[in-house]
Amino acid sequence: MRKSREVHLVLLASVALSLTACRDEQQNCVDANNRLLPPSACQTGSSGAHYVYGGSSGGNVGDTVVGSSVTRGGFGSFGGGGGDGGE
Amino acid sequence: MRRLTTNPRADWQKRVEKVGLTYHTLADGTPYWDESAYWEFSSAEIDRLEAATAELQMLALAAGDVILDQDRLSQMSIPKAAAAAIRAAWNSEPPAIYGRLDLAYDGNSIKLLEYNADTPTGLLEAAVVQWYWLKDCFPKSDQFNSLHEKLIAKWKDLKEYTTSPVYFAAGSSEEDNITVSYMRDTAEQAGMHTRHISMHQIGWDSKRRCFVDLDNKVMGTIFKLYPWEWMLNEPFGQNALSTLPPDSPLQEYGPRKDRRMWGSMLWIEPIWKMMWSNKALLATLWELNPGHELLLPAYLDGPRNLSSYVRKPLLGREGGGIAVVQEGKVVAGSLDGENAQGYVYQALAPMAKADGKTAVFGSWLIDGEPAGMGIRESSGPITNNTSSFVPHLFH
Repeated sequence: MRKSREVHLVLLASVALSLTACRDEQQNCVDANNRLLPPSACQTGSSGAHYVYGGSSGGNVGDTVVGSSVTRGGFGSFGGGGGDGGE
Repeated sequence: MRRLTTNPRADWQKRVEKVGLTYHTLADGTPYWDESAYWEFSSAEIDRLEAATAELQMLALAAGDVILDQDRLSQMSIPKAAAAAIRAAWNSEPPAIYGRLDLAYDGNSIKLLEYNADTPTGLLEAAVVQWYWLKDCFPKSDQFNSLHEKLIAKWKDLKEYTTSPVYFAAGSSEEDNITVSYMRDTAEQAGMHTRHISMHQIGWDSKRRCFVDLDNKVMGTIFKLYPWEWMLNEPFGQNALSTLPPDSPLQEYGPRKDRRMWGSMLWIEPIWKMMWSNKALLATLWELNPGHELLLPAYLDGPRNLSSYVRKPLLGREGGGIAVVQEGKVVAGSLDGENAQGYVYQALAPMAKADGKTAVFGSWLIDGEPAGMGIRESSGPITNNTSSFVPHLFH
């Protein structure tokens, strides 16, 4: 026999149903200097544009976002916004 | 070997969904999971495929040494900044789980088409869905498929060398996320504590110089279904390199506090897989083993004396950018345009063809050992993301 004796799944079925239920935090799209950009800059993958989570700003494009040492969105922009990485 | 047609199970969609395969039907309504046919092999044919897989793995290991010894990474369009990390990872052997060799097999010759070593998918289909299909339809037959058992066994081996939880990450595609969830399932069954995170949710803490999850907790181990070449071209690429040797110092791993040069964050698959998932590997393999029965002539500088060949982008994915030339004429894709990364020119292989379909045999390795097979079929000569998955059995 070259096949697995048993193939039990403990997690997959429930995960498959819940994949769309992701957590979200307040996000700001910023440039390399932490200055606010319009959200479209991150959606289109403009050079240097990325999200930071947490922190605060005046809310206007060009304002500096302060108060967070954590940035997010530095991965996941390839393949049409993080599309098929598998092959 | 032969392709046989059969009646799909009446409720096949429900049955495959029950084991996680939600993407069983393509956008145009044709089945991606296609159980209206299956491939039947003899035990001897499976022995050959298994032996070929093991042999090709040995050749790839030898090629990896040559690529690094002779500084060939730049020929492969691999960024200079990653060279030291690739070299360090190759030498220190951080955990690597899986890979898939795509083979041409017509019942006579077996030829390597490419090695999907970094981000292979089709795993759930091969490990689980076709196993349940066999159980339902041909319970007395065998299948080249011990993937599920071997994955759990590998995670058990790694338990002492990984931090907890182990994060599992992918981009946004449904297929990738299901594949990652299946991998996560096998890790859970090995006794690991796991968490899912999307690649875009991963945070970089500039004060602590580490990657963090959504609760800003340090991430120590990650399985990512996301290509290294993409990661290195993104804003966090340099940060990822900073978590790897030689930038990241010697660390202690596991209860025995083994000191290893694996870096401050374990990335699975490791960064050296960039050498094998790159199609320049095919030319290196042929150069090192000219005339080898499992290899096709392959060159980086053009088709040379080949009149029938396939031109593949070095970093191409899922059939993208491929051109097929037969007796000097382009029969699929296009030779127009240039790709900055370069191409490999590989001789055409004798393929298995039946009922208007061309089949590619994806031979899986877990922990470097042959572990099973998944078959993709296409109407044309190029396997892409719409090629259907067809189950197999052997007697």
